[in-house]
Amino acid sequence: MPEIRVTPLGAGQDVGRSCILVSIAGKNVMLDCGMHMGFSDDRRFPDFSYITRSGRLTDFLDCVIISHFHLDHCGALPYFSEMVGYDGPIYMTQPTQAICPILLEDYRKIAVDKKGEANFFTSQMIKDCMKKVVAVHLHQTVQVDDELEIKAYYAGHVLGAAMFQIKVGSESVVYTGDYNMTPDRHLGAAWIDKCRPNLLITESTYATTIRDSKRCRERDFLKKVHETVERGGKVLIPVFALGRAQELCILLETFWERMDLKAPIYFSTGLTEKANHYYKLFIPWTNQKIRKTFVQRNMFEFKHIKAFDRAFADSPGPMVVFATPGMLHAGQSLQIFRKWAGNEKNMVIMPGYCVQGTVGHKILSGQRKLEMEGRQVLEVKMQVEYMSFSAHADAKGIMQLVGQAEPENVLLVHGEAKKMEFLKQKIEQEFRVSCYMPANGETVTLPTSPSIPVGISLGLLKREMAQGLLPDAKKPRLLHGTLIMKDSNFRLVSSEQALKELGLAEHQLRFTCRVHLHDTRKEQEMAMRVYSHLKSVLKDHCVQHLPDGSVTVESILVQAAAHSEDPGTKVLLVSWTYQDEELGSYLTSLLKKGLPQAS
Amino acid sequence: MAEIVPTQGRYQDFHAFDLSGATRVLEWIGDKGILVAGYESLKKNEILHLILPLRLSVKENQGLFPERDFKVQHGGFSDRSVFDLKHVPDTRLLVTSGPPGCYLQVWQLAEDSDVIRAVSTIDVHESEGRLWPRVAVFPSVAPGILHGTRLSSLKVVDLDSQKTTYTSGVSDDDVLSSLQVLNTDTFAFCCSSGRLGLVDTRQKWAPLENLGPGPGSAGRRWCAEAGGRGPGPSIARLGSDGQLCLLDLRDLCQPVSSVQCPVSMPSPEPELLRVTWAPGLDNCLAISGFDGTVQVYDVTSWAGVGHQVEPLFTHRGHIFLDDSGMAPAPLVTTHTWHPCKPRTVLSAASDASLHVWDWVDPCASR
Repeated sequence: MPEIRVTPLGAGQDVGRSCILVSIAGKNVMLDCGMHMGFSDDRRFPDFSYITRSGRLTDFLDCVIISHFHLDHCGALPYFSEMVGYDGPIYMTQPTQAICPILLEDYRKIAVDKKGEANFFTSQMIKDCMKKVVAVHLHQTVQVDDELEIKAYYAGHVLGAAMFQIKVGSESVVYTGDYNMTPDRHLGAAWIDKCRPNLLITESTYATTIRDSKRCRERDFLKKVHETVERGGKVLIPVFALGRAQELCILLETFWERMDLKAPIYFSTGLTEKANHYYKLFIPWTNQKIRKTFVQRNMFEFKHIKAFDRAFADSPGPMVVFATPGMLHAGQSLQIFRKWAGNEKNMVIMPGYCVQGTVGHKILSGQRKLEMEGRQVLEVKMQVEYMSFSAHADAKGIMQLVGQAEPENVLLVHGEAKKMEFLKQKIEQEFRVSCYMPANGETVTLPTSPSIPVGISLGLLKREMAQGLLPDAKKPRLLHGTLIMKDSNFRLVSSEQALKELGLAEHQLRFTCRVHLHDTRKEQEMAMRVYSHLKSVLKDHCVQHLPDGSVTVESILVQAAAHSEDPGTKVLLVSWTYQDEELGSYLTSLLKKGLPQAS
Repeated sequence: MAEIVPTQGRYQDFHAFDLSGATRVLEWIGDKGILVAGYESLKKNEILHLILPLRLSVKENQGLFPERDFKVQHGGFSDRSVFDLKHVPDTRLLVTSGPPGCYLQVWQLAEDSDVIRAVSTIDVHESEGRLWPRVAVFPSVAPGILHGTRLSSLKVVDLDSQKTTYTSGVSDDDVLSSLQVLNTDTFAFCCSSGRLGLVDTRQKWAPLENLGPGPGSAGRRWCAEAGGRGPGPSIARLGSDGQLCLLDLRDLCQPVSSVQCPVSMPSPEPELLRVTWAPGLDNCLAISGFDGTVQVYDVTSWAGVGHQVEPLFTHRGHIFLDDSGMAPAPLVTTHTWHPCKPRTVLSAASDASLHVWDWVDPCASR
């Protein structure tokens, strides 16, 4: 039975770690391989025992696809490929391929060097893992093997993020990863064509939210920065190397220009180089606006934003600084934070999730006295703000995407089933599709009816139509023909044409049956009696008595002969072609019942 | 290039959202949740129970909450347009009303899932044409649903037993525009004609009344709301031409003041007129239903007739953030005050926008 099976992997009920196993027409694909940032033991990795039970991963999986560089989508990749063991291809877009190893190494450093964890993947493992990567372009069909093909679509969300279509024959699945349906300042909105997949798998973490307008969020952010700078304070924005930082830079640059502000904005050096490098490299991945303006000037070379020097942190007066890393857990951002924390005129704006144990996490929990190295206590007097700039699809966005792709079924991952009954109903009603919400480890099986197109020869069609009534929609009419399968091409032609094309001669099948009847009369009389009998019984058929004594019913021949040994027994030879099988066997059983007594 | 909303210093806070369908109801459920519902006639409408963004619910440390989004806590589908929606306090039940007005629908917010289910109906025996019954709830251990399209059809029905526990018993066919429960035995009504009154359900029909603004008001439609904190008048009656009348409970016959609000034009849809008293401020009310704005007034020194008044604050967000440009400007369909935060208002418009805004009192900032 053709079917598609989907199993989200993971241990327990968790949100934010993506790893989905899809079986489609005998092919097995793993979608994303994320890590849960909140755990520091094995719970952070997806539960691969589900697959490993079936033998070697490389034999079982046809490929692995990574949607984008966020750690909750690729963080477990080196562990999976090098520690669990997988040597097959790993597909991702070029920007993802370039940026993934940087973030993985960054995270590895914190986990091992800062937190002293054991059983974590090494730098070499990251390198070895990346050697298995095959980069793909947008809208390019990639043949994984002679049956499985994949295609990437633009997902917005973050540089290089893609949605993937996985296709085998006429069956396909689309996996969205994280996407955004509203364009922002440096990335466009996700887009997919009306590809009508059997199944659309979409993240639903934000499905039950109605998002605040971008303008209001930006306004709020700018207001806070402006107010701080106006009163002479300093604003620290800890950011990850790549992602929202670029968006906020463009926003501030525009605002500074518009309001003619003079306070300096800095970007910590390492960051600018890396960011600029990748953004220049991947210009096609940014949105239309940036591509157009890039010709004139480099959008990421800002007028008001300059490279940062450590010494600037001590300069008096207002300023805004973007510094890595994002959770204030080490490096430059932490250094700057320590210098500025004691002044209430200053502000730190945290733009995203902070892992437990980091300074970022502590101050967001409201802690105002922090213990630093050497038992030094840092008193935090500066203002702490938390602004989420993540770009995810909300309920409205999900509906839009489903409307674009027109899938037959929808599967939502990473939401709690009880809290999404309404969305499920909404999707089912609006699009007339089935909506599934499996828990981690639960398999959803979708029966599919793959359609196999068959071309019918014009001659055959005409012949059938000439036979009279057109087929009724409720009563399909049977037609006979020969199905020729050649080079993935299916054609229905008449038998004669098939024979001709194949250079075969037609064979006739004839059946003969002997019916023994007790009758002492002569054969000719016998034949006559048979003829009369059949004529009276088979009123709808053409019964004839031929000059040579034989009787025909349609094309069936009945001949009477004497029994070789027993003169009292006559033998009726009934002979018919394969086409007349039904009538032939009916006739035989009729004759076996005997002839009526002569009147 | 997308315009950034300029920080004018008049808003303390401003959040804008887009619902999947426009609503003309904003009903509080507790002080952290609101209910909205669609009013389209040709398709299924959604009823949503939304939880306010955490940021807007907390009083302190707002900066530490990144969540600026509404959360859909419950959702349901209605085949009919929803023109009025009331939550039955201390229960998980809702009552909705809309055309055709032959019955009220009762809904339940599921406890174990996020679905709002239709559970029963309340018949409205006289239903006619385009009229639909206004609804108000008498909260009690056995809640009573007050409803009616005209004064003559006013009744109170016990929600559980469906028995009628009160009827107006009059033949006056004035069409109702507002119904409001004031306490366990009293309710206020206002008719489209402007006639308004207070009714004690323990007595036979003998309301304290003001019969309306009188002749010369042909074509004008009215609505009213009782409330108001502070020593002044506590009933406001708003006309579709922008006339605003304040009355005192102690003497309904003589309005305390009558002013002309500076509205750009008469309301294109008098059914959407709304006047609300601020629960957290003295002598403060808001009006909407004329255009894409909500106007806030301080009525402290209003007296007499023909007073020239200016709003304390005008929310123009629905026009300003309207991206379409081509379509007719959106019309504010309803607004409501936050029960705890004195200057926070929620407003909805015909373009499905939903705003939550906190305005700065210009007098206070001087």
